[in-house]
Amino acid sequence: MPQFTRRNLLSCTTAAFLAAPAVLRAETSGKRVATLDWALLETLLAIGADVVAATELRQFRQIAVTPEVPEHVTDLGLRGSPNFEVLRFARPDLIFNSNFYAWADPLMSRIAPVESHAIYSPGESPYSLAERATLAIGERLQLSTARKMVEDLAAKLDRLRPLFARGDGRPVLPINLGDARHFRVFGSDSMFGEVLKRVGLDNAWTGATSYSAAAPVGIETLASMPDAWIIFIPPHPEDAFRSLTLSTFWNALPAVREKRVLRIGSINPYGALPSASRFADFLAEGFSDVRNG
Amino acid sequence: MSAMADLAPPVRAQAMPLVVAAGLGIACIAGFVLLVLLRPLVPGGGAALDEILLWQSLLPRAAIALFSGAALGLAGALLQRVLRNPIADASTLGIASGAELALTLGLSFSPLLTVLSRELLAFTGGLATVATVLALSWRRGLDPVTVAISGMIVSMIAASLSVALVLARGEYALSIHIWGAGVLNQGDWSGVASLAPRLVAGIIAAFLLLRPLNVLTLDDSSARSLGVTLHAARFAILILAVWLSASVTAMVGIIGFLGLAAPTIARLCGARTTGRIMIAAPLTGAAVLFLADCLTQLLGPGFTDLAPTGAFTALLGGPLLLIMLPRLHGFSAVTASSDTMLRPLRKPAAALATLAILLIAIFAAALAFGPTPDGWHFATGPLFSELLPFRLPRIVAAGCAGALLGVAGLIMQRVTGNPMASPEVLGVSTGAGAGLTVALFVFGFPSSVVMLTSMALGALVAFLVMLTVTARSGLSAERLLLAGIAIGALSMAIIGMALAQGDMRSYILLTWISGSTNRAGAFEAWMAIASFALLTAPLFLTTRWLSILPLGTSLSRSVGLRIMPSRLLLAVLAALMTAISSFLVGPLSLVGLVAPHLARLIGLQTPRQQIAASILIGASVLMLADWLSRVVIFPYQIPAGLLASLIGGPYLLWLLGRKAKRM
Repeated sequence: MPQFTRRNLLSCTTAAFLAAPAVLRAETSGKRVATLDWALLETLLAIGADVVAATELRQFRQIAVTPEVPEHVTDLGLRGSPNFEVLRFARPDLIFNSNFYAWADPLMSRIAPVESHAIYSPGESPYSLAERATLAIGERLQLSTARKMVEDLAAKLDRLRPLFARGDGRPVLPINLGDARHFRVFGSDSMFGEVLKRVGLDNAWTGATSYSAAAPVGIETLASMPDAWIIFIPPHPEDAFRSLTLSTFWNALPAVREKRVLRIGSINPYGALPSASRFADFLAEGFSDVRNG
Repeated sequence: MSAMADLAPPVRAQAMPLVVAAGLGIACIAGFVLLVLLRPLVPGGGAALDEILLWQSLLPRAAIALFSGAALGLAGALLQRVLRNPIADASTLGIASGAELALTLGLSFSPLLTVLSRELLAFTGGLATVATVLALSWRRGLDPVTVAISGMIVSMIAASLSVALVLARGEYALSIHIWGAGVLNQGDWSGVASLAPRLVAGIIAAFLLLRPLNVLTLDDSSARSLGVTLHAARFAILILAVWLSASVTAMVGIIGFLGLAAPTIARLCGARTTGRIMIAAPLTGAAVLFLADCLTQLLGPGFTDLAPTGAFTALLGGPLLLIMLPRLHGFSAVTASSDTMLRPLRKPAAALATLAILLIAIFAAALAFGPTPDGWHFATGPLFSELLPFRLPRIVAAGCAGALLGVAGLIMQRVTGNPMASPEVLGVSTGAGAGLTVALFVFGFPSSVVMLTSMALGALVAFLVMLTVTARSGLSAERLLLAGIAIGALSMAIIGMALAQGDMRSYILLTWISGSTNRAGAFEAWMAIASFALLTAPLFLTTRWLSILPLGTSLSRSVGLRIMPSRLLLAVLAALMTAISSFLVGPLSLVGLVAPHLARLIGLQTPRQQIAASILIGASVLMLADWLSRVVIFPYQIPAGLLASLIGGPYLLWLLGRKAKRM
């Protein structure tokens, strides 16, 4: 019986992950593309498209971290108020947009054809939508890497399934700390929730989160899920984590007393498949660290 | 609304006080008992965790609600007494928004937060805003109406600056959303331990200052003859009140309008003398906040609150202000502004022509001149035609919005006879925001047309409510302004509830509040032009009204003007203009305040000239703001409305300094 160990995981999960970029760099479609949406940006970068412009790159590098944004990509400014003149100067051949920024379609279609892909939409699975969007974008840009990314991730999640099944069987609660007394939770309708479902872990949060998957809740709610693993997904405000861990209530929580708290790296909470993959990796790595002490 | 207003008169005062006080007390006890009994149980967590929840979460939260409420109630009572203004409170004076802005700055530039404590930051911010507000209304002898208007404008500027910072910080905004709406959740007793001594110190200080406070109810000269160092006492009390409210804001966020509610209810409970109000106001404040917090916990499912407690109490603000309307009287009679003392220009046509040339120059420069990724360029030829589709719509939208706002401001100042009147104050731009909020919750991702329609509807509803409320007083000028502030407060509370959701809808609302012209396309531009043409043309037919109305009700009536219909028509025009410009550049720009003033300063005095000048100046100011918004931190953009309000804000201060010298 294979053990749930770091070595096991490394061979299982990261092999595909490490191999992928090498494949991706090999082919680049001729089309210069741009996008306002971070989920589409990470998808485009991950499948090796020639991205010439995108929004809020400084924040993206801090929050989403991977895939790496090449230096030559032009920063369009805030997602809420992208600079269309700069987008024009970047001379994209094709612009990808999402339902969040649909208002910009008429203006951007003057620059280049606009194609829209929704990843977060009420009542629909963001994972399935992300798969569909990735395949559609891959087809449009004639990048076979897209299909490969979809298949690799599905295979990776399948591989992780039996490993997690040998865990303690406790549900998992992925949260993002807002301040010392509030967090937002990623329910089953979020990308992280989908990943949990696909690797066979239970989401401790059974209540509804709005389709944005980010309803802020009071910290005492943690008490209603005493069995759960608490997974912190950064970014957090600087002082929030410190003052939370000092509070009496926090230290009385079963999860905290039994050391069922994981802190992982920063992930784009409104991400697509690369975020899903990053989350799965963090989960696997985190749990194997715990198992091995 | 009239039924609620009837609670106030002293006719029923004999039976009322006990009933109100007892009712409040019983409601609090009942709420708490229900809260403890119905508290959500921890599945499989055992008794130990349940006990921790009770002792480290539920009880400290109840205590912090009581202490915060008491502190805010006391602060409200102190402010109302020291300013002799029955509607002074941390919300109406901008203390809360100032504290919020300072804390947002602290979060954005983290070294600030490590050097200064949260309390100190909040105190500095609160003090700065309240000083600004009082400075703005000093010339009018801190007249309650003017104080309320300046308070509203200053807190809107502070709030929109906070929003701009939040937007620029992206994902970190979550904590600010929660915090801005005021929530009381606690994880241990540390919050209570830090707030309780402050409250006690505040109460002791308040009672030490009680004697001077009593003297303050006399007018200044008799107070001085009693040997009280009047200004020192006033200043000390003011500082105390700001410190109390800022401490609460730093601890739990903005608890809207509690300082207004507490003393009012205390008076309903029979407190008449200063001493009694000082005792009763903290008690009622504590009770009201406690009750609101119990309700939001009880009504929300499981551990989740129905809404942030602060947003919940903010809903009280609007109705309360409306109830208090009949009791409010400005000190200085609201008459034509003293600005009109300026001598009229000999050649108004030349001045108008100069303004028009200036407008065209700004328009041309904004179209052609600007930064590109490789340096600054005067766009000509192909580059110009390439950039035109992106620059023209937003410049046109900004220009038309500015023109509409300029005229709307002019109408308001003329109709009310108050130089501080502006479209922001009418409550219509935030009413439009409330309409937008509803559309966002009904449609998810509404189109521009749906957004515009819902905003126009929101503006009209806000406006009609305001008219209904003030109709009894014959649409008197100061009632109109105060009702506007009340409606604005109510609409902001609705928007605040939606903002606290922290999802994509809040993001759209935030973008609207910050007032960006970036989204303007062909639709917005054509709509702006069409509404400008349709709404300003009929105005030139009303110039007789506009010249007579500022002279006051009796005079207007004596020259045969039918006051009600003329005011109604002008106000509907102003409301529509405000709604449309609010759609284009957000709820705040202060252009409606600045443009008519500048027109008058230049010496253009007849309504016809002033309308034309307000159009030209309003359009110029917003076009300039739009251009600046694109170039200041290129390629990032600052919302144009915010930038315009930052131009308008200092202008207000300057105007004030000028007046002080002349007096």
